[in-house]
Amino acid sequence: MLLPEHAYHQPASLAECLDALVTLDVGRSKDDDRLAKVQVIAGGTDVIFNMRLRLFQPENLVSIRRLPELQKIEELADGSVRLGAACRLVDLADNLLIQQRYPALKDAIDAVASSHVRNIGTLGGNVCLETRCWYTNNSAEWRSGREGCFKTDCEQCHVIPSSNICHAINNADSPLALIALNAVLTIQSAQGLRELPIADFYNKDGIAHMALESGELVTHITVPPCDDRSVFLKFTPRKGMDFSLGAVSARCGGAGEQASNVCVVIGSVSSAPIILENAARILEREGLGDAAIDRAVESIRDEMGEVTNLYARATYKKQIAKVLVRRALIALREQ
Amino acid sequence: MAKHIMCLTVNGDRHEFAVDDTDTLLDVIRNQIGLTGTKRGCTTGSCGVCTINNDRGESILACLTHALEWDGESVITIEGLEANGELDAIQEAFVEFGAVQCGFCTPGVIMSAKALLNKYPNPTEDQINEGMAGVLCRCTGHIKVKEAIRNDFRLRAERLARAE
Repeated sequence: MLLPEHAYHQPASLAECLDALVTLDVGRSKDDDRLAKVQVIAGGTDVIFNMRLRLFQPENLVSIRRLPELQKIEELADGSVRLGAACRLVDLADNLLIQQRYPALKDAIDAVASSHVRNIGTLGGNVCLETRCWYTNNSAEWRSGREGCFKTDCEQCHVIPSSNICHAINNADSPLALIALNAVLTIQSAQGLRELPIADFYNKDGIAHMALESGELVTHITVPPCDDRSVFLKFTPRKGMDFSLGAVSARCGGAGEQASNVCVVIGSVSSAPIILENAARILEREGLGDAAIDRAVESIRDEMGEVTNLYARATYKKQIAKVLVRRALIALREQ
Repeated sequence: MAKHIMCLTVNGDRHEFAVDDTDTLLDVIRNQIGLTGTKRGCTTGSCGVCTINNDRGESILACLTHALEWDGESVITIEGLEANGELDAIQEAFVEFGAVQCGFCTPGVIMSAKALLNKYPNPTEDQINEGMAGVLCRCTGHIKVKEAIRNDFRLRAERLARAE
């Protein structure tokens, strides 16, 4: 599988890059995400993969891998840590600041694919990871055996045929920990800069699954200071190098069975990470006792919106999710 | 399609050549530089047979790296492990423990093992499993590979003793 034809661009600065994202995208249809003329590339482990499958066929690739503005791991005056989008996953996992302050983020990054991928893959790339699906994540030749779908060239979804949106799965690991840790994304474009809590970044359309407009780029991820306990757990068919059938990140203030400021996030069950609000309310009201955990685990059934896609049925994913949430909450209690 | 001139240092030798926008590091290493030890497998990052090392001795997948993104950088392939006509200790360990079946994945497996040993010279069982998770041997010869990696430290020590 060769790469589809495209032109490669390597801007020297962030400003030049943001301009290129606008000028190279001229003539694109505003409504159709499939026709993006520009694709940002950093490590390439997800972009090149999707290009080989002909899921990305951009006219232009814009590389942010060496942009100096996006490489830093900095501690800000208020105690937050600001991570450049082009920081490699391996550098973040090896960083002492992250290991000591955000163990859930460290575990989530370690859970991404294999060391080979983490040695080139970036945090920005993992945050913007393309959604995956049993139908589309095959070669173009394989897919031609049946009609296309929303992601390719048809108006239908092979996961839920009656649906009018795409139900590809968001399989990214690090966003779960980042949501639990209340991280904020800095999104820049030639017009300016905006900040968006990562919790509001994803939505349930498998194609337009990120709140990112044409010409915009996620440049930094800022994680606020956190004294709370946090945890990340992932369930995969194989131990390493696998996308998950379910992954959970949870955060909670207090000690022992006390529970304040609770956030439980589950991923890989649908097109967006899901914040389990019922469970958080129950735990904040009742603490982390066995009975409260039982009730919190039962409460997640109505909030997950799990779909049958990628090697597991929805019913199975629901069971996995319950087990993961229970394990995560017990781990929090014991931290 | 436009051609670009890029340079890449492979195993210490600097090469300058013309590439297409669509070339990956794997295309460049095999087709332009002619080092065919690095294999083309799945080309989608699942099998790891295209593993090479970057200038820090970390494993990377040549099939998923855009060639032009690596203009001016330096990589090491399986051909670059031997020094002065002598195999690297990890290669010797692979020979000693017969950690080869059909041999197709072996360059990728050895480069992954090399990167693992660069990071952890005497790795634990978990570190071996984690470091080697990205490469697949379709003959399923993983046990002997792990034996070879476990014994690399000893072979390296013996070599040092011999040298003194």
